[in-house]
Amino acid sequence: MNEMLGNQYFMARKYSEALSVYEECVQQDKSNNLIMKKMVICYTQVGKIQKAAELLYKIIQNNLDLILFTDPLKEDCPCDELAFNLETKYDKTLKSFDYLLALGVLWLYCDLNKSIEYFTEALQLKPDNKLINSILVILTKRKKQDSKQFDHHSSWQN
Amino acid sequence: MPFNKHLKNDILDSLGEGVFTVDKSFRINFFNKSAERITGLKREEVIGQFCKHVFNSKVCYSDCPIAIVLKSKKNLYDFESEIHCPTGITKPIKLSAAVLYNGNNEPLGGVISFRDISEFDKIKKRLAKNTQFHNIIGHDKQMQEIYTLIQDIADSDAPVLIHGESGTGKEMIANAIQATSSRKDKPFIKINCSVFPENLLASELFGHVKGAFTDAVKDRIGRFELADGGTIFLDEVAEMPLQMQLQLLRVIQEGTFERVGESITRKVDVRIIAATNRDIEAALESGEFREDLYYRLSVIPIYVPPLRERMCDIAPLTYHFLNKFSLMYKKDITEIDDEAMDIIMNYEWRGNVRELENVIEYSFVRTPNGEKITLNKLPLLIRERVYNKKKQKNNFLFNDPEKEKLIRILEKHHWNKSKAAKELGIGRTTLWRKLKQHNILEK
Repeated sequence: MNEMLGNQYFMARKYSEALSVYEECVQQDKSNNLIMKKMVICYTQVGKIQKAAELLYKIIQNNLDLILFTDPLKEDCPCDELAFNLETKYDKTLKSFDYLLALGVLWLYCDLNKSIEYFTEALQLKPDNKLINSILVILTKRKKQDSKQFDHHSSWQN
Repeated sequence: MPFNKHLKNDILDSLGEGVFTVDKSFRINFFNKSAERITGLKREEVIGQFCKHVFNSKVCYSDCPIAIVLKSKKNLYDFESEIHCPTGITKPIKLSAAVLYNGNNEPLGGVISFRDISEFDKIKKRLAKNTQFHNIIGHDKQMQEIYTLIQDIADSDAPVLIHGESGTGKEMIANAIQATSSRKDKPFIKINCSVFPENLLASELFGHVKGAFTDAVKDRIGRFELADGGTIFLDEVAEMPLQMQLQLLRVIQEGTFERVGESITRKVDVRIIAATNRDIEAALESGEFREDLYYRLSVIPIYVPPLRERMCDIAPLTYHFLNKFSLMYKKDITEIDDEAMDIIMNYEWRGNVRELENVIEYSFVRTPNGEKITLNKLPLLIRERVYNKKKQKNNFLFNDPEKEKLIRILEKHHWNKSKAAKELGIGRTTLWRKLKQHNILEK
């Protein structure tokens, strides 16, 4: 197991190399969420968008905070940059399912609302997709909770 | 005293090399004082940061030293890299890297030690500035003509024969010819033909098969085969036995040869550069060197002048060697005083550049750090010879072989009189008397 080598590849933005090392690592330690969190990003960069979404779902079922509270600086997370590049470099009018799915995944590390927007758009293209439905259930539930807390906090202040 | 964490940190802080460690996520968790001094960064600023953000080096993305160790499982030593300091300066460094493992042999971090090699680089650049042509120092017109000739023949595969006295730098000329030729990226094999007896030379040049002679326990490839597609440098070619000269002639003419003890004819494509310090005309006349081989080898003849014919190069060479030894011995001696330079300029340098280099090294090691090389630091024999020459010039003939012999042997034994007396076959008292008689003062 060489998580450290995987971390170096990830840090050097060599996603394919990082992924092959991380995949070996999680086979030996299936509960290592920190590695899986990075693997999701790697999958989006090597074109395995479906796998990225599946792994993301696996993480957020138990620990949505792990993704939501990502600190881009402290964790050297490239998601905001990757999402921005994807949004600016590709023809948005095409809006393919994978394109929307990748943005939904990446934005979850930075902005819950944007992530929900992209997942909802993806669902409109494939309304029967169970995985996206399930992800959206978790995310919208959290959004409601956050709103309630915010409202409660505001009314308490008033 | 317990070997606690503070003590470890104190030890690491006392090192001249910069040292830092990272955890398995490549966040810095230790940064010693020398690392602060070299990078200009404070420990508090970097602890907890990713090393790539601190060092801003392109190797973080391409050749991370710790990643190299992780992949190869071998520690890295003297890896050249660079760091970008907050002041905007880029510093060249040499680093060593290792991975730290836990009890289960899983990597849990890495350690890098590094040193600033800016000064070393400056010296290298300064040396390069003084270098005229492929590391050859030579401002003299004859040397300039050689450089032009080497450039003119860069596209040619014609054999070259380099003439010149011992120590004039024939091998450096050969290096320059190879480095400018179209075969520069191909093998460059060198052999000194004078150091092998006839039977071994044939084996060295052409190889042998198992059982060809007593010590031939397995097949061995020869230098010509090793040089196939490239260049071979045959130093002291005129010392080659006549039989071997004939075989060499065949390689030049046909490109073919046989390994010793084998009948299979092999073919090679090798460019030949040969060198000799002998008076080739005399060797041809006496029949020691084959005329046909000479003409084959000497398609492009190059004559390297002795140092006495290129007086203007003595001073630049002297300073070049001073720089070189400053680097080698880590001493700051970059000057030589006028008296010492006067001796150097007036000496005959029969051993040419090699002798000059040896004399500068001798004087250099005897001079304390930071000082100039002075007259009394030069070898006594050199001083005596120049004084004698000057005396002879002034018609004060003074030629005493005994005195010269005494000085030479004393120099040889670093002025150990017991050893010198033993070699001379005289007693210590007799030696003392002779030194007094010849007015030879102790160094």
